[in-house]
Order: sequence, then structure tokens, then C-alpha cells
Amino acid sequence: MTETEQPPALPSTQSAELQRYERLLAEAEQIQGISLWRDAWRRLRKNRVAMISLGYLIVLSLLAVLTPLLPLQPPRQQITKLAFQAPTASPLFIREYKIAENEPAENPDEPLPTQAKIDADGFGPLNWFDRSLLAARRAIFGEWCFNSICGRDRLGRDLFARLFWGARVSLLVGLVATLVALVIGVSYGAIAGYLGGRVDNVMMRIVDVMYSIPFIFVVIFIISILNTEDVKALMAKWGIDRLTVFFLVVGAIFWLTMARVVRGQVVSLRNEQFVEAARVIGASRRRIIFRHVVPNLLSVVIVYLTLTIPQVMLFEAFLSFLGLGVERPDVSWGLLANEGVEVITPVRTVWWMVVYPGLALAMTLFALNFLGDGLRDALDPRMKNR
Amino acid sequence: MGWFIIKRLGWMLLTLWVVYSVSFVLMRSVPGSPLSAERKVSPEIEQNLKRRYRLDQPLGVQYWDDLRRIVPHGDLGASLKIQDFSVNEIIAQGFPVSASLGILALAFALTLGLTAGIISAVRRGSLADFSMMTIATIGIALPNFVIAGIVIILFVFLWPLFPPGGWGRISNIILPAFCLGAPYAAYIARLTRTGMLDVLSQDYIRTAFAKGLSERTVILRHALRGALLPVVSFLGPAIAGVLTGSLVVEKIFGIPGLGVHFVNAALQLDYPLAMGLVLLYTTLLYVMNLLVDLSYAILDPRVKLH
Amino acid sequence: MLRSAFPYLALLILLGAVAWSLSFGTLPPADFTFCNGTEIQSVDPAIVTGQPEGRIIQAIFEGLVNWDPRTLEPSPGVADNFRRVTVRDERGNETTKWEFEGLSDDQLTYTFHIRENAKWSDGTPVTAHDFVYSFRRFLDPMTPNRYVFQLTSYVHNADRYYSPSMLQPGDPVEIELYPERDLIGIRGKVLRGYTFVERVLQGEAPDPEDEDAPPRQYLYILEKDGNQHRFLAGGEPGSVPSDVTVCRQVLLDFSEVGIKAPDDHTFVVTLKNPTPYFLTLMGFYPLFPVNERCIETYGSPAWTRPENIVSNGAFILKERRLRDRIRLVKNPHYWDRDNVRLNTVDALAVESYVTMLNLYESGVADWISTVPATSVKTLLAEKRQDFQPSPMMTVYFYRINVTKPALNNKLVRQAISLAINRQEILDTVTGAGEVAAYSIVPPGIPGYTPATTAPYNPERARQLLAEAGYPGGEGMPTLEILFNTSEDHAAIAEMIQQQLRKTLNLDVRLRNEEWNSYQISQQQLQYDISRSGWIGDYLAPNTFLDMFVTDGPNNQTGWKNAEYTRLIEEAAAGLSDIQRDTLSIAVGVAGPVSIPTRMDLLHQAEVILMDELPVIPLYFYVSKNMVRPYVHGFYNNLQDVHPLRAIWVDEEAKRKFWEEHGR
Repeated sequence: MTETEQPPALPSTQSAELQRYERLLAEAEQIQGISLWRDAWRRLRKNRVAMISLGYLIVLSLLAVLTPLLPLQPPRQQITKLAFQAPTASPLFIREYKIAENEPAENPDEPLPTQAKIDADGFGPLNWFDRSLLAARRAIFGEWCFNSICGRDRLGRDLFARLFWGARVSLLVGLVATLVALVIGVSYGAIAGYLGGRVDNVMMRIVDVMYSIPFIFVVIFIISILNTEDVKALMAKWGIDRLTVFFLVVGAIFWLTMARVVRGQVVSLRNEQFVEAARVIGASRRRIIFRHVVPNLLSVVIVYLTLTIPQVMLFEAFLSFLGLGVERPDVSWGLLANEGVEVITPVRTVWWMVVYPGLALAMTLFALNFLGDGLRDALDPRMKNR
Repeated sequence: MGWFIIKRLGWMLLTLWVVYSVSFVLMRSVPGSPLSAERKVSPEIEQNLKRRYRLDQPLGVQYWDDLRRIVPHGDLGASLKIQDFSVNEIIAQGFPVSASLGILALAFALTLGLTAGIISAVRRGSLADFSMMTIATIGIALPNFVIAGIVIILFVFLWPLFPPGGWGRISNIILPAFCLGAPYAAYIARLTRTGMLDVLSQDYIRTAFAKGLSERTVILRHALRGALLPVVSFLGPAIAGVLTGSLVVEKIFGIPGLGVHFVNAALQLDYPLAMGLVLLYTTLLYVMNLLVDLSYAILDPRVKLH
Repeated sequence: MLRSAFPYLALLILLGAVAWSLSFGTLPPADFTFCNGTEIQSVDPAIVTGQPEGRIIQAIFEGLVNWDPRTLEPSPGVADNFRRVTVRDERGNETTKWEFEGLSDDQLTYTFHIRENAKWSDGTPVTAHDFVYSFRRFLDPMTPNRYVFQLTSYVHNADRYYSPSMLQPGDPVEIELYPERDLIGIRGKVLRGYTFVERVLQGEAPDPEDEDAPPRQYLYILEKDGNQHRFLAGGEPGSVPSDVTVCRQVLLDFSEVGIKAPDDHTFVVTLKNPTPYFLTLMGFYPLFPVNERCIETYGSPAWTRPENIVSNGAFILKERRLRDRIRLVKNPHYWDRDNVRLNTVDALAVESYVTMLNLYESGVADWISTVPATSVKTLLAEKRQDFQPSPMMTVYFYRINVTKPALNNKLVRQAISLAINRQEILDTVTGAGEVAAYSIVPPGIPGYTPATTAPYNPERARQLLAEAGYPGGEGMPTLEILFNTSEDHAAIAEMIQQQLRKTLNLDVRLRNEEWNSYQISQQQLQYDISRSGWIGDYLAPNTFLDMFVTDGPNNQTGWKNAEYTRLIEEAAAGLSDIQRDTLSIAVGVAGPVSIPTRMDLLHQAEVILMDELPVIPLYFYVSKNMVRPYVHGFYNNLQDVHPLRAIWVDEEAKRKFWEEHGR
């Protein structure tokens, strides 16, 4: 501050008045403006079901990321003599993680397989991150791992381990595909809503038309195209695998609703009083968008995100049912659940193969739904300060 | 309202054309031929086979020829895989089956969903509310082939109440309709509950109570109408879902509806059948959405059709 | 008004819809119900290939000969010039068998006598001309026919009729004009009396890869009474010069083909080479007769409708509900009607094996043709009398694309074969008593000893792979196993993937495709390793070995071997020195003959095949029928064929059975 800008001294008659104002100002400053987010978080914390769901999802995601670190049996290790073994928890831990028992060392001259080969046999190709986790796991747990507490499938693979490895794929599909949908949907909806007028009209008509296309059908065709060797070779050249394309395709379907929601929100926000007000006091366009529009959009987007992930995961399961899902020997929950449904026969019901994957799917989608509901309530401006 | 319907039908024609074109391009980009079979034939005969089905024409010609055949006559051509039937006949046989299944599933979903939704809204916070909403969430959270699997274990093998599959008797339809309707019942229950809670806090309901009307009258005559609006707008997509969802259920329960044709035609590249079904589904979707919009306007005086 | 009435109106509509949806008709239960697998493609014998189609067509049509339900031996069908003879086998046991009386001494001419009492389902007699019509239609290049080699390979001039490219100058031809009515499958007017001069492809030779290329047209220059005439086959009317006649196709005159009907009851077929199993082929459903009047009246596919179809089998097509059921009823005009004991039969179209088993267990179906692989072990453990797997003439094998790097090395292929532990796969995945296969020809063909490749030997496999230049799998490209979508194929592929990984340290990926794209990938050699299966069409090694001749349509591995092809061709041609008795070999009853040289040649060919290994045999199927004990006349056989005309149900036993077993 410079001298010249110091306020001129006021006559004493006004000083009482001034003090009153200063008191008021100080009071006003004491009232902390609670940000939308803090407020929402406060409300969400009160919602016990949503918090449990959130906790479950965080734990699940952590476990999925750290799966190679967990004392699980190798998910691809086939112990054929134990095919369809029922769930067993006694003993809880076994020493199964090593050279598979069903391959006798038929020749003493043969060099013993290296640890890398054993890992590749049991886990499939791994990236550096998973390999280091696996090394850490070997250091911590040695050969010990969980017994087949969820039973084994028809090739004698441990279902419990496969559920964890499947979680990685299922969650990734859900998350990435939803993000793809989000990016497309938000940009499309925001552009339409912001530009308004004829452009908006045309863009929304396109969405209407696309809504009426039976998308399952389109997906079947696209996946058939992707499955052919030529296209695969092309994709391999660009370093894209099928899972990536799968994300894109699924994401490309679920963006429509997002676009509509975002566009609606943008249109109504444009005419909101607080935006008008900001404009009147001369806030820049950038400030209006980032300070006023985006935060209000974000709440909608987050709620929608938690509610779309379950839909995407269900869709993945549906595609697995049609035999168009992830490629074996990769697993996803949908694929496991479908394998389970296939072995329900009147002569023998291998219940664990449908119940556990079903349970895993149900619990996760359950949690996502509850969290989504909770977030919607928490972020609802009408609920403010309640 | 008449103008509104005409406008929507115009959009429907446009949509159908877009769907036709997109499907045509996609279908023909799938490598392979619908005429391939385990026993390969000589190129010359392959040529004759193609000629029989006019697949030897350039794609552009096929595009217009098909369009010209479909538009004036509604003739969808002959199926390439189910060779004794035309696509129209296949649809005529399968559609009533799929439709019955869909109608029953929706009727079931509406009955169960509305009842559960109303009860849990009125008895908010009670044990009934909590358990019903939990069940509803399970309905949303499980793929319907898993529901079908569990239901088969329970009601076909453990407690043999229903036949495992087939078509023709009422007992055949109960389990599939349940599996198909369950997720929608769950959604409807949740929507009804939310809508009901919203409405119950409104002034006119308070007024109605203040007038001394019985709880039953207030809920059924005043509150329900408002609470129904989100359900009605959900019905459009729901019908679409029932139509496509039936493909899983039809496959598991061996029901001769259109759902399995839908997947098989797409996978086996039966171009005419696949095209016929896509167009049928699009038309249905559009008509259903139109009906939903109309009923919305009838239910809610604030909504103006334009 | 509308607004207040709307909820009630909606409710009313909903109730109406529910009432409508519940009002579907039901058929009274049939005498006998079976699950027929997927929905059949057609009931037209000439155009289908599958087993489900075969079951229906065998019920509603009847060929020149019938296969005995027990032994598959050719027995009297529409042709009745058979006699019962007694033969003595090596051990001196006497059996009776049918002997065909119409075979000429050079074994080239088959004269069938059409029985006098053979009738179509409309009451008109079945004549030799019906067979000429049907066989010609079967050979017509316009018929979308995939079994055409059943005649073109054996019958005199049949291949030349079928392929216009084989026409020679001077050949008499027939010209088929476009039919006057716009129907598919009917024949146009036929002009005769011309001879062939030249065939010219119109326009540029189209690029076979180009999907958008216009259809091929051929200009035929023909001669009649010294004048040349020009015919354009496949052209559009009106778009040609005035001296060119547009026609549908130009074929060799059918009178040149060895298929003739001298009178109403005599049907003569002349072969190129003696073919011991030709009589068996005549009982195979693609060669069943169809009714000329019916087809030419209604066209295709309308003639196959229940209300139009005229057939000559033991049953009539009564009703077809897509993907639900086919209702068959007994044909009152069938010549052997007194021995057909079922009045109504339902063939259910069920895709899922699990659903089939459900239907069987709940008593809806009396026979299911297969069971889910995952329930086989339980069924066997329970020692179910109604589940008796029995060997079949079908092999499950992996094709190897020998044009791919590394896989073009014989040693690599041998190493892969040695590294596959077939028994482990069979014990884990299939388990119905399937037999591990080390040859492509299944055992059980009389007079033939299959040549085998070495069994599982991981040590030797590693050694061979090292010899091939890939010690410890180093340097081997990633391989991909292609299979058509199915849980069982997937499980087998996953096991082999793991076995190859463990034993040879190979990196193997899996790729599943739907049936159609899988077929295309396989035909266009767009795979590394591909799952395949082959059902023997008749009881001779050729049905398997013919596949792998150089550039054969079903080779699909890129494998070329001149010596192999020579052996197969020699085996097909060098038959004239074989005595007539070898016929009995083809029909499965051992006769008093030495092993013919034909079998030796085929064996030598298979030795080459099993050394080169463009295909790796995995196992031989077993049939997995489940049949209720009250069903009689059902016999397991190598082809898994069970004619409905022989089947009957003991109603009393059925009633008792279900009383005992509840429901």
C-alpha cells in the first residue's frame, strides 16, 4: 500500500457509525462460506450406507490394483484332477504357489523351470508393475496362499484368485468406458448447450436419432469387425489391444445420456440468476465458465459417473454372455458368471461358479448404486445446509 | 397434438433411414459371407449362390434395391439362414411371443415396482422400506442371466414348480417374465419411492390431509398421479430394454421369440433378417417413446407438446 | 375428461395386452418328442448340411435305399431289388444281410427298381422320373448345394454337368431360359439340340477380392444345324444386341450324364469308377427325391411349407413353429406304413445343451441327441441306463496353418502334437469315453488300419523343438488358437494353451469367433492353429483323407503334398480290380475277401499325413444320446443316425415309468 491511497481521516462524528460497520464486516467475515464440496462431503458423511459403499469400493479398488501382492493361487494354474472342487476353507492356507503338482519332474536332467517361467505359466504375461508386486508377494508370503475358498472351475483353476483378477478387468472396463462416455458426452453436451440456437437443435436431434438405434446390434457388428485377424494386426501395429477398443466402443454407447444431461444443465445454468449476476458485475467469460458453470456441472457429472459404471459393468457381463466379452484367458466377472450359468444342469449344480461371481458383481454394483444415490442427495443444492 | 404426432413420425422415418444406412454399412463391413459353410464350394458355385440372393451386385445397387423393396411393400426379403421362411414370416411368428413375454414382464414390473415404491415411501425409514429398497437394488445389480440361473436352481430343480423351458403353456412364461421384469421392477420401485417422497412434501398434499381425507385417498388419488410421472418417462427406455433384454432370457429358457434371432442374425450375417429386426426394433422404440410422451402430456397438465 | 379417465384406460389396455399375451395356442402332446438341436435351415434335401436337418429330412423323405437303423447297411428303400442272403464271417457265424441285385458285373452301372407301391404323400406314385428330376436338380449349379460332390465325384459326367467351365467343343448342351414366373428355384424353359463351341467371359476378368465387382457373365457360342448362335448367361434382358439371346445358364445336355430313367420303375446310374460305398450314399439325405410338381408350382422356399410340401417318407411335415418345434405326423401313403408305429412326433428346436437336458429330465423330451459336457461325468457316475455313449465316426482336430513362419516346419508341428496331453483333456473336459486320437481316420472302418502319430511325450517334444531351431521355445512367434464360440472348445483350447506353455514354453493366445467368421478365417488361412471337427459321411477312410489333397476345398491348411495327393487319387481310381464282395466292406459287414489295395494306398497316404501333421488329431467323438427306456427301435451306430420310422414308444411302459419317477 502506498501513502496516497490511505483513506482520509474521517470526522469523529462518523466514527461511531464506522465502528458499527466494521463490526458488521468482522462478523460477516467470521461466517465461513461453506463450499459446495465441503457441504456435500459433510452431508455424504452422514449417509451411513453411502459411506460403507464408498469404503467398500476403495478397498476393492486397492485390492484389485494390488492383486499380485495378495496370497492367491495363480489364476491360470490348472489342477485338472481337482476340477469342480467345492469351496473349502480348511486349511485356510495351502502351499500351492510353486511348480504345479500335476506335472511330475519326468526327467531329472531337465533344468528346473525358472521362477519367471512359473509365474508366466500361472499368471500370464505381466507388466513390470505386476511383476514387482509378485516379487514382493513371494518375499512376504512365500508359497503360502489361500485355499480354494470359492471352489474351482472345470479346469481346476482357483475361483477365488480368478475373482480378484477378474475384478481388475471388470472395474477397469467400468471405469475407463465410463470416462470415455464422459469425455464425449460432456464435450458434446457442453458445446450444444453453450452454443445454443440452431446448432444445439441439430446436435440434439442427432442424439435423439441415435437413441433409437438398437445399440446392442451395432456393438455385435463392431466387435465382429474387431475380431478379424486383419483388423487385429492393424491394431497391434498401433499398439492397441482389444480391451482398449472395447472401452472405446462401450464408452461410445453410453455418452448419449451424458450429453443430454450436460446440455440441459448448461442451458439452465446460462439463464441462472447467479450467472447473470456475475455477467452484470463484469466477470470474464472464462471466470463464468470455470467459477460458476463447471462446478455446477461437476456435481451432475459425478453422480452420473457412479451410476454409469454399474451399467457398463452389466453391459460387459451381457457381452460375455453372448461370447463377445473379454478374451480368454483374461477373466472378468461377467465371463465368470456366464461360465457359472453354463454349468447349471439338472444332474449337478456347481453352485459356487454362479453364486460367487454373481455376489461379487452384485456387491460392487450395489455399492456403486448406493454411493451414486448418496452423492446425488449430497450434491443436491436444495439440500444445502440441511 | 396431431401436428406433434406427424412431426414425430417424420423424425421416425428419418431415424429409420439412418438406422438402415448405418446397419447396412456396418453389416457389410463385417468380413465373411452369410453363405459360408463347413463344406466349402467352388468359386463358381459361390457366385451362383450369391446370385440367388442378389449378393453379387455392387453394394450401392444392393443398398438401393433393398431400400426400394422395403419402403413401398414392407417386404424385408428372404432369410439367408432360415431358408424356408421370409423375414416377414419369421417376424410374424416370433413377434407375438416376444411381445407377450415383454408385456407380462412389464405388467409384473409395474405391479411389483409401484406397490413396493408406494409402501416404502409411505413407511419411510421402516424396516419394510429398507428391505424393499435393498431387494430393489439387488434387482438392478445382477445381470439377468445370473438371476435366471439362480431362479432355475431354486424353482426348477430344488423346488420343481415350473418347467425349465419351452413355450406354449402359462407355466412356461412365469419364470422368464420374472427374470426379464425383475430389474425394471427394481427401477420402478426406486423411481416411485423418490417421486412419492417428493410429492408427499408438497403443499397440496398437506392441504389434502388437512381437509381430513384418509391416507389411502390422499395417496392413491392425489399423490400417486404426481409420483407416476418419472415412472412414465422411464417406461420408454424400459420397453426398449425389455425388448433387447429378452434376448438373454429367451436364450436361457428356450423361448421362440425374436431375441435369439436378433443375435443369431447379426452373428451369422443373415443380412435381410438382421436388417428387418433392426428396423422393427427402431420402429417399436420410436412408437413406444411417442406413446410415453403422449401419456406424459395427458398426465401432467404443465407439459405442452411441441 | 381424458385426463381423469386415462389411468383407467391405460390399465384396461394393459390388462387387454396381458390377456392377449396369455392366449397362445397349445398343441396336444406328441407320441414321441425329441430335441433336435438348433433350428433347421431348411427341409429341402438338396441344400442343407447339418445333422438336425438330416433328422427331419430322413423322416419326411425316403431315398433309393434305407440305412438299417442298427448296422447302417443299405436296405430296401424306394428301390426294392434287394434279396436277403446269408453270409458266414471269419469265425463261422452266419448272419443275413441285404444284397443289392442291380449292380452290373463291371460295378459301374446301378439299376434300381422303383417299388410299385411307393407313393408321394398326395397319393401319386413315385417314379424313376422323380429321381431323374431330383438328381438333376441336385446337380444344377443354381441349386445352393454343398454336398454336390456326392454325385459329381462318382457319377459319369455329373461333374461336367455341374461345372460349365468343363464344357468341350462339340458337347451337346441344354440352354435354360429365365423362368416366366418370378420364383426362385423353378426351372425355366430348356432348349436342346445345340452343341458347344466357345465360352467367353464378358468384360474384364473381375478381381476376386473386389466385393463391388459386377457379376460375371459368359457369352456362349453354340452351334445348331451348322449355324452359330450366341447366348449370354446371366445377363439382364433387353441390355444385349439383338443376335444374342439372354439365358439363365448353359449346361451339358443332361442326357449325357449317367442318370437315366428308361421306364417309370427303372432308374439307372452309371459311375466313372467302381465305388464300393455308392449304395450307402444313396441312403444319405441330400439324394432323397423331391416332388417335381410341388416345386415347379410353388418355387423355393414356398414348396417346403407344411401346406404345400409333398414328400415320400414315413412322416409328413404337419406344422413348423420357428425355434419352437416341428410337428410330424405319420404319412398314410407311405408304402411301409404298417411298420411305422409313431403317429405324431415333435422335434423341438433347442440350442442350449443345458436346456435339452432340462427338458429330458423333466419328461418333456424322450430323446436328446447330446448332453452338456459338464454333466457327462455325473451321468456316468450315476450309471444311468439311458446314457450310453458310443463311438462315432467323427474326429476333433486342430488344423495348422503351414504357411505361417515356424509352423511351416514339420518338426515344430510334431513337437506341438507331442506336447499335447490328450488324455488329460479328455479326462477333464469331455469325459464321456472319447478316445484320444493319433490318426485322422477313426478306428472301426472295416479293413482299414489308421496310421498314427506318436503319443504325448514332452521330452521328445522339447527335443524336436530344439532341433527345429527354437530351443526352449526361444524365437518362436506367438501362436493363436482359433475356435468357434463354445464353452467346450474354449476349455480345450485353454488346456492346450497351458500345456504348450508348460512343455514347450510357447506363448499361445486364444481367439474365439462366431461360426461364420470362424469359417471364413479358416478358409482364408487367417489363423495359426484352428479347431476343427469332421463327421464321416460314409463308412470309408476317404471321407476323412480326401480333405487334405493339395488345394482341396476342405484342406484349409495350406499344406501341399504331391505324393499324398497321388495316393488318394490312385485309391479312388484303381478300384476296377476289386471283387464285387468289397461292397460288403463298405457297409460294415466283413466279407470273405483279402484286404484290398485301395485300403493300403489310403493307409500310406495317412502315414504321410500323420508324419507331416498339417492337422493334429485330438480325439474321436462319442455319441451322447439320452433315450428313455420305454423308447424302442433306437440303436447306437457309428454315424449317430436314428431313423424315426424304426422308433416306437411302449405307452404302457411310459406311463409306468413316469408314475414311478413322479411328475
